[in-house]
Amino acid sequence: MTNQTLPPSSNVVRLDAEAVSLDSVSLWRITWRRLFRRKSSLVGLGIILVLILIALTAPWIAPYDPLQVLIGVENVKMRQAPCIHLLGCPKEQPQHLMGIDGNGRDQFSRLLYGTRLSLIVGFSTVTFAIVVGTILGAFGGYFGGWIDNAIMRVMDVLLAFPSLLLAIAIVTVLGPGLINALLAIGIVSIPAYARVVRASVLSIREMDYVSASRALGGNTVQILFGRILPNALTPLIVQGTLGIATAILDAAALSFLGLGAQPPTPEWGSMLGAERNQVFTAPHLVFFPGFAIMLTVLAFNLLGDGLRDALDPRLAHVSK
Amino acid sequence: MKRSLYALFLLFVLTSLVLAACGEATPTQAPVEPTQPPEQTAAPAEPTPVPDIPVATFDGKSLVVPKEECNGDYAGLFQAIEAVDDYTVKFTLCRPDPAFLSKIAFSPFAIYPSEWLERTAADGKRTSEGLEKPIGTGPYKISQWKRGESVNFTAFENYWGEQPFAQTLVIRWQSEAAARLLELQSGTVDGIDNVGPSDFEVVRNDPNLVLVERPALNIFYIGMTNTFKPWDDVRVRKAIAYGIDRQRIVDNFYPAGSEVASHFTPCSIPNGCVGDAWYEFNPEEGRKLLAEAGFPNGFKTKLYYRDVVRGYLPQVANVAQDVQAQLKQNLNIEAEIVVMESGAFIEASTTGKLDGLYFLGWGADYPHITNFLDFHFGASNPQFGNPFPEIYEQLVKGAQVADPKEAEPFYVAANNAIRDLVPMVPVAHGGSGTAYRADVTNPQASPLTNEQFAVSDPGGRDVFVFMQNAEPISLFCADETDGESLRACDQVMEALYGYEVNGTAVVPVLAESCEPNADLTVWTCTLRKGVKFHDGTDFTSADVVATFNMGLNIASPTHAGNTGVWEYYDYLWGLMKKPAK
Repeated sequence: MTNQTLPPSSNVVRLDAEAVSLDSVSLWRITWRRLFRRKSSLVGLGIILVLILIALTAPWIAPYDPLQVLIGVENVKMRQAPCIHLLGCPKEQPQHLMGIDGNGRDQFSRLLYGTRLSLIVGFSTVTFAIVVGTILGAFGGYFGGWIDNAIMRVMDVLLAFPSLLLAIAIVTVLGPGLINALLAIGIVSIPAYARVVRASVLSIREMDYVSASRALGGNTVQILFGRILPNALTPLIVQGTLGIATAILDAAALSFLGLGAQPPTPEWGSMLGAERNQVFTAPHLVFFPGFAIMLTVLAFNLLGDGLRDALDPRLAHVSK
Repeated sequence: MKRSLYALFLLFVLTSLVLAACGEATPTQAPVEPTQPPEQTAAPAEPTPVPDIPVATFDGKSLVVPKEECNGDYAGLFQAIEAVDDYTVKFTLCRPDPAFLSKIAFSPFAIYPSEWLERTAADGKRTSEGLEKPIGTGPYKISQWKRGESVNFTAFENYWGEQPFAQTLVIRWQSEAAARLLELQSGTVDGIDNVGPSDFEVVRNDPNLVLVERPALNIFYIGMTNTFKPWDDVRVRKAIAYGIDRQRIVDNFYPAGSEVASHFTPCSIPNGCVGDAWYEFNPEEGRKLLAEAGFPNGFKTKLYYRDVVRGYLPQVANVAQDVQAQLKQNLNIEAEIVVMESGAFIEASTTGKLDGLYFLGWGADYPHITNFLDFHFGASNPQFGNPFPEIYEQLVKGAQVADPKEAEPFYVAANNAIRDLVPMVPVAHGGSGTAYRADVTNPQASPLTNEQFAVSDPGGRDVFVFMQNAEPISLFCADETDGESLRACDQVMEALYGYEVNGTAVVPVLAESCEPNADLTVWTCTLRKGVKFHDGTDFTSADVVATFNMGLNIASPTHAGNTGVWEYYDYLWGLMKKPAK
């Protein structure tokens, strides 16, 4: 026998109040309200906003060109440790907040520009995967039968491979490079979205308002894209937010292995890979890109978790 | 409806399978019209390579090529190798070779017992016993090769020389320099190869470790293939020579002991540095030459390399990015970096198939200028495109003169021709280093990377553990080329001559001496007596002849190796064969 704990009375009261306000408040406003109640989601959202700001303003805030070799230009050495004047670094030495990399470039500037690339990778691959996955999942779920069977079996085959391994295989065939890496990550991400959309469509297509729309003479395109898909977006948003984190991590892994962004492109994974042997002699070159990857992935995971909770009606009573 | 769709789909799949099966079978089943001209066939067959013709005869005591073949199509160096008596071997050459002793001391020419050579050769392949457990006369014998983990050796109790200090030798491997150093620092190994350039100071400052710097007996160069545009224009090649700041590369990416290459061959090799020194860094001159060649705004190209650490190029990725940046900055050339798989890169670069710039290098096999220049700039090497007669004609003349002083004018001319024609840009002679625990005596960093661990005492411990970059490919080193395999073989195998510990001078090993005749075409070697192989058999002149028969005579049943390429036997001596007419 297990003891079931009843929610605290204050929560019950809040639930009631929320239920009362449902008549006049939109789903999105409720979602935002729930999201803002979770501090972890706010932290995630805050970090993402800062990262977006950094990505947009990188050319202005980066002190150096990320590709500029500073050997011979400034008095710096390869893999020089960070020099921060505020922390006591002599004023006559040029300031490099995160040190100098193995090719004599400013690590801080490269990291800032790397933010751009990571966010582009995350958003573009997830957008690609969502578009393709949604179309496939929607058609499969709506039409059912052999179309559904064919699409879902292909998705099952894709899911049968570990995603990173499949991405490596695709890049090996297409050739190393950032675009090919994006394509590979996009392709391996499709099944997750296709399955989510299909599941939503399967349940929504049986709803009364869909039947009503059909009875009123709505054609397939109208029903699918006008009635069903807008109501299937909720899980897709959660999946997409979490998917960005995975995509960034996969892209970094591919670049680490030399299959993604090619030198001298400032990409966090390739920066990490290039200096992996210097973990003891120049730890700052491994720490900062690694930390940036970790922070970005954490931010998207926190936001994704928050969104999942905020958008899930079953978790509506859990307010924190 | 659904069922019929499934049936249709199944039918489609089955039809596809049947068609696929038939498609494969058709070409072999279809009769070939004998009168059909080749150009009408859908897929003409690859021309079958005509096998070379063997030119040698072997009777157990002598390996002989008919003398007239020396002036014919046979391009090899040996005319005969004969066992005069049990302890005398006579090598007769088609032409003089001043580097004979240096070459014969090289690891792939170590001597095997004749019976073992026959026993471990089967169907043109060396057996697994032959590849993994060679029998030699060295201070150690193989006890076990744990694939993926280590090669273990035990001291050979009947060794003719001094017994090894450590009863057991273990060679392990790890590709990452940082991980190798970590193993050394934690005391799990006694010595490591190729200390990372950035770790030199770490090792120097650690009282528990000792750093041994390896002399720079190698060359790192940036190659260009003159059969591709724009590398067919010497002005473009010269522009690259002017536009790359080689000093900056050496200063930033090489450890202490490295130097900017003034010539292709290191200066420590006689005649290596004769002739004019290489071009100084002058980007203005480079841009001017590019403009004259029709590229005032630069051009786009590729920069190929393999991501493999070598003593001549310890930080390949960093150097590649620096050269890429320099080309853009100094010459406005946009170079796209292309990292290739090691084997594919070597095959493509050495056969002249790379259309861009490429990074390659060379470590000395034996300390003679012919090892550097003749291989790279010889008449038959397509690596840099069409070979340059201005270079190779001088090399042919120089290779036939024993006295370095007498040969100097030829090498001056050859080095100057290399400088004028710029088939490549010599960048650096890379120093490298090994590190040992401080209590290891006689710590070694051989310039030829053939450390002899038998003469080092690991602080009184019974086991000496050395960690190198990679696992040996096989231990049948007559048919191997990689340094990791050769180092392991060097503990087990011995040649007639060898190289001094930590040096390049040749010293007699299985031979007591090898004396040439006046014109250097006959070398008579007196062998050491009382030497035993690991299997207990006696070492005699018959083993020497049998070993060279195995390596050189393509008709011999014992001519069975691992790769079947016999690269060093072919390149340094020439296999005993001639091309079919």
